[in-house]
Amino acid sequence: MRANYLLWVILTVFYAIVTAGYYLWWTLTYTGWEPIGTAALSMLTFMSAFLAFYLWKTDKSQGTVPEDRLDANIEDGESEMGFFAPWSWWPFFAGLSAAMVFASLAIGWWIFYISVPLGILSIVGYVFEHSRGQYAH
Amino acid sequence: MATITETRPSSGAGGSNSPRGKRKTKGQILVDWVTTTDHKKIGYLYLITSFIYFLIGGVMALVIRAQLAAPGLDIVQTKEQYNQLFTMHGTIMLLMFATPLFAGFANVLMPVQIGAPDVAFPRLNAIAYWFYFFGSFVAVSGFFTPQGAASFGWFAYAPLSNTTFSPGIGGDLWVFGLALAGFGTIMGGVNFITTILTMRAPGMTMFRMPIFTWNTLVTSILVIMCFPPLAAALFALGADRRFDAHIFDPANGGAMLWQHLFWFFGHPEVYIIALPFFGIVSEIFPVFSRKPIFGYKTLVYATIAIAALSMTVWAHHMYVTGSVLLPFFAFTTMLIAVPTGVKIFNWIGTMWRGSITFENPMLWSLGFLTTFIFGGLTGVILASPALDYHLSDSYFVVAHFHYVVFGTVVFAMFAGFFFWWPKMTGKMLNERLGYIQFWMTFFGFHITFLIQHWLGVIGMPRRYATYLPEDGFAWMNAVSSAGSILLGLSIIPFLWNVYITYRSAPIVTLDDPWGYGRSLEWATATPFPRHNFTSIPRIRSESPAFDLHHPEYAAAEAKAAARR
Repeated sequence: MRANYLLWVILTVFYAIVTAGYYLWWTLTYTGWEPIGTAALSMLTFMSAFLAFYLWKTDKSQGTVPEDRLDANIEDGESEMGFFAPWSWWPFFAGLSAAMVFASLAIGWWIFYISVPLGILSIVGYVFEHSRGQYAH
Repeated sequence: MATITETRPSSGAGGSNSPRGKRKTKGQILVDWVTTTDHKKIGYLYLITSFIYFLIGGVMALVIRAQLAAPGLDIVQTKEQYNQLFTMHGTIMLLMFATPLFAGFANVLMPVQIGAPDVAFPRLNAIAYWFYFFGSFVAVSGFFTPQGAASFGWFAYAPLSNTTFSPGIGGDLWVFGLALAGFGTIMGGVNFITTILTMRAPGMTMFRMPIFTWNTLVTSILVIMCFPPLAAALFALGADRRFDAHIFDPANGGAMLWQHLFWFFGHPEVYIIALPFFGIVSEIFPVFSRKPIFGYKTLVYATIAIAALSMTVWAHHMYVTGSVLLPFFAFTTMLIAVPTGVKIFNWIGTMWRGSITFENPMLWSLGFLTTFIFGGLTGVILASPALDYHLSDSYFVVAHFHYVVFGTVVFAMFAGFFFWWPKMTGKMLNERLGYIQFWMTFFGFHITFLIQHWLGVIGMPRRYATYLPEDGFAWMNAVSSAGSILLGLSIIPFLWNVYITYRSAPIVTLDDPWGYGRSLEWATATPFPRHNFTSIPRIRSESPAFDLHHPEYAAAEAKAAARR
């Protein structure tokens, strides 16, 4: 839908203007330029543009979908929505091992050596939990 | 719509008190909660955890107020303890209570409001929660270390936050715990955006989404814009503290670098915790005024405008550094009052000539509106550099942001709790206890914080552990502390309410117990079935449940909507 990407287009244009305005206003008021705010704002512009482009591309290739039609009925969306994991242990283990890795940076390296293997294990478990091999879905 | 899913044989629709199936053992219930990927259960986990942090942060606030009630160090033994208290009070309330509370409400409601069976990435949703859960625990675990928790203020200004001025492991735990919790928030934001963009029910166009869902979308956009700079800044601070990286060394401009990066996150963060709660009251006002929301599209545009502008105002927290572009930030900050004013206008317009009833959700929403307007007005005062130079870092600022944040988060949170409690648990909270709690909270809050404006005006600085009798701050502080006792006690009727509701309230069987619910969550069973809907009504406006239950008004409203 147009609103999807238009939202990001608006943000891109707005942040482009603000970045330019901030840079110029500073340069005209003081000497030199203010690198931190200018960098942060220009990266916002870039991220918004990136998402606007992606959503615009998707929208074009997708065509009109039922959720964007004003007169769609519920049965128009009747198709497989995807796979929803009914339960999973891996988010818990991934969270726990990530917390150990982060805490190890504060506490001491010995936890790091224990928690990184656990973290790798959780990531592998998380990624391959519902895997049935390539092209098998 | 088809969703491929299996459920455990033991887990019935309503969880442990489901009428069908055997009662589950305690171990099964625990495993159910720990391994859940159901967006509603994850939402409840968020709500419960953040509410517990709200209680912890609240107790810290009460200790702070007790300390300030009279001159002298009578309650805390050292000023360092006081510093830890206000640092962790701020950190907990902002990042462990308010932000995950948004994730909680959004998780429970947003997928139902757009007619989706779940969020786009259920396991990512769970991982986001566990990152928040463990990250928050790491951040507050500094209290269990000998030197205590972080004590450099919740905005951790350099060079105060380096190891020279803040030695001790509490600061390191704070830095890395928040970084982890921040990643959880980013994941949650990505998940919400994807869900809203891709999983709406047929006919649920962007401009038919409930305002709460719109605000969730815009808030999530803010999250992915401003949390990455925080993560970067925290990692850099961690590198400074642990590996002597000298990134925030004042010798090479690090003090300003930290302030810029922190407030580039910190200001949008205020809107992250405000916008979803604006969404909650925007759902409540129409229901209890028996009118559609006034100016749906202007509300959406105002939300987007607030979000866009909120990324450009960060340095108004830094006026007194003397090295920011004052006119630019004063201009953008005052500009942001315009869309906020539009929202307030719309809420009043919704109530205007409606047939209002004052059930608890409505009462709390009105409490929100009153309190938030005060906070907004002092915000305009502080936006002006000439005034801010005098008021910055005084109790005027403390009063200002408590009005803003308590007004939005706490009042709207209770509004949301009372409003959606039947939907979430199948039982209505007690109205009378709710009224008692409301008036205690309302008076407790205003007695505590209104007087702090004048405390700031006569010059009491924030974050001081104590003051002298001859400063003349004593009686105002005593009033404020007395108010805080009332405010602290106001939580008791709520906890009692939750308990007796759980024990003895009748089970709600209606889809829409309030009678005038508008968005899709009122068109499904109470409490929600596992994948939210057994059937979805046709969606022809922004209030499909209202159209379903009151078809006599649907045509007229659709015609009016088409004209807009």
